[in-house]
Amino acid sequence: MLPCGTFNETYGQDTAVIRTRLQWGLTIAGLIWLLTVPLYGGDYLLGLINHVSILIIAVLGLQITTGYCGLVSFGHAAFMAVGAYTSAILTLSGLPFWLALPLAGIAAGLIGLIGGAPALRIKGFYLALATLAVHYVIMFLIMHLSITGATAGLHPPPPKIGNFAFSSDKTMFYIIVPLMILMTYFAKNLVRTKLGRAFVAVRDNDLAAKVMGINLYYYKLLAFFVGCFFAGVAGSLLGHWWLVVAPEEFTIVQSLMYIGMIIVGGLGSIAGVFFGVISLRLLDEAVFLAAPSLSAAFPALAMDIAAPLSGVVFGLIIIIFLIFEPRGLAHRWGIFKASYRLYPFTY
Amino acid sequence: MIELLRYIVAGLMTGALYAMVAISIVLIFKATEVVSLAHGELLGFGALFFWLFFVALGLPLWLSILVMLACAGLLGAIIQRFAIRPLIGQPLFSAFFMTVAVYLMLDAIFALILKGGAVGWPAFLPVGNIYPGGITISLASLSTFGICLLLFGILMVFFRYTKLGLGMRATAEDHQLSQSAGIDVKWIFVLIWVISAMVAAVAGVSTGNIMGVHFYLPFFIVVKGLAAALFGGLDSIPGALVGGLILGIFESVAAGYLDPIVGGGVKEVAAFVLLLFILIVKPYGLFGLVRIERI
Repeated sequence: MLPCGTFNETYGQDTAVIRTRLQWGLTIAGLIWLLTVPLYGGDYLLGLINHVSILIIAVLGLQITTGYCGLVSFGHAAFMAVGAYTSAILTLSGLPFWLALPLAGIAAGLIGLIGGAPALRIKGFYLALATLAVHYVIMFLIMHLSITGATAGLHPPPPKIGNFAFSSDKTMFYIIVPLMILMTYFAKNLVRTKLGRAFVAVRDNDLAAKVMGINLYYYKLLAFFVGCFFAGVAGSLLGHWWLVVAPEEFTIVQSLMYIGMIIVGGLGSIAGVFFGVISLRLLDEAVFLAAPSLSAAFPALAMDIAAPLSGVVFGLIIIIFLIFEPRGLAHRWGIFKASYRLYPFTY
Repeated sequence: MIELLRYIVAGLMTGALYAMVAISIVLIFKATEVVSLAHGELLGFGALFFWLFFVALGLPLWLSILVMLACAGLLGAIIQRFAIRPLIGQPLFSAFFMTVAVYLMLDAIFALILKGGAVGWPAFLPVGNIYPGGITISLASLSTFGICLLLFGILMVFFRYTKLGLGMRATAEDHQLSQSAGIDVKWIFVLIWVISAMVAAVAGVSTGNIMGVHFYLPFFIVVKGLAAALFGGLDSIPGALVGGLILGIFESVAAGYLDPIVGGGVKEVAAFVLLLFILIVKPYGLFGLVRIERI
């Protein structure tokens, strides 16, 4: 719904994402704020923003595959691993990071085509289980091939321009965050094209979509390719930021968390990715901050309770969202926007 | 040759475990069409309850088994009532992901209770090995195999001859029709979760006998159980038994012959390779009802 007094008079206005002057102002102010955080933010804040941005890129991919095309993938972390390892291997053999990054995305996308191939035969949770199996097969290969450094992992070098190395949180911030904005722009526009509408049609009713002339095989595989491309880019960024790529960074729990993020954020919404990732990542952070004092309060537990505790909170949040708000935070946000635009009227 | 036979026998023994887990998953799927990942946790907690009553509280064996079954059933009923029932009418996928969320939550609690380690498991079943024809079989595994067959028999009789079992099969067939025939479908849903949780708990105690109870056990087992259930066909109890046994044998033989070549770890991935193969070649399994549906 548009704010009062705003009318669409041209086709350009009708399709614009950012519609009013206030929205432009807020967008520009927000971007300026985001990009100036390194001037005053500490390493903790920068690390958090970097991690959230990488997660957003990965979850955007999952949102396209799962949220828009309805193909549930439990192997997203493994596709991220493919991207991370590809880019690590390429940069270690001398290729610059700037070339390895897109190649990592493409490699993950191609592996995603193989991993998504069962989608040609099966759907629903059969497909979910197939991608789960794909996850384990990929991780098995990574842990047993010599080129990936087995369980020890690899140490990719930091990205470089000339002699300048992006080796700190602050410098990586200026690679990760602009890339996150770029990928968001790409994803947001992708789902508004013919491709995105075809994905939604396949999700909502694949038979009807086929009758309308949509080539199901082509679009399902394409959804996997695009989703895994995002995952590969995210994995590559993660590797070059942490300067280490190891199998334990990409577990099945990670994949499940990504699905949880799009459930909390809202399936089939790009804004939902931001809501889901930011809220769950901050929650995780809060649990890790609160865990030491909880440990002190209940000495009987007598162990590092942060990891299990975040599991409990995460599971509980998803249960609550599935029962009370299956459409996620993005839906709530829509309701809120409509209500303040209509204020003081109710409809 | 004797080596192959040895692998097959070992596989049969582990396969019985997978079959039990698969049966508990199939029970839920038959009646409610929900595939449950939460069963790994029901299994883990079953073992934990048994340990709590038998070792920590020192109750006699028969009493601890009974109390363990009651507690596991209660846990199943709670999951059904508070997590699954609110989702009636929602897409089936939400129910599936709900079980994933329940799994994540219970798994964290499980790890918290075990403190990231393992519990000392009591040897209450006969220990030792027998050697028929040069093959080593541990008595614990053999008794697990026996328990699995016994359980299968009990369930078969239950579903064929008792009124409640017949009601459950009717519910699995069609919810509305059985509701109008006077079957309380909501109650049946709770009961099927209770029964399934009990089966999973028995599987958990048997698993504890063979490989101990570690904090990573639940997921390890439930994925194998899912693979076995899919192999046999998600809505067939005999299929779950056959699927579990075949999966066990496949895994054991593959690990036996391939481990020396690739350097270990084949056992973990063999089930998934089989799972992928089944899903692509025969999505409805060996004995499953084939739904005619175009993709």
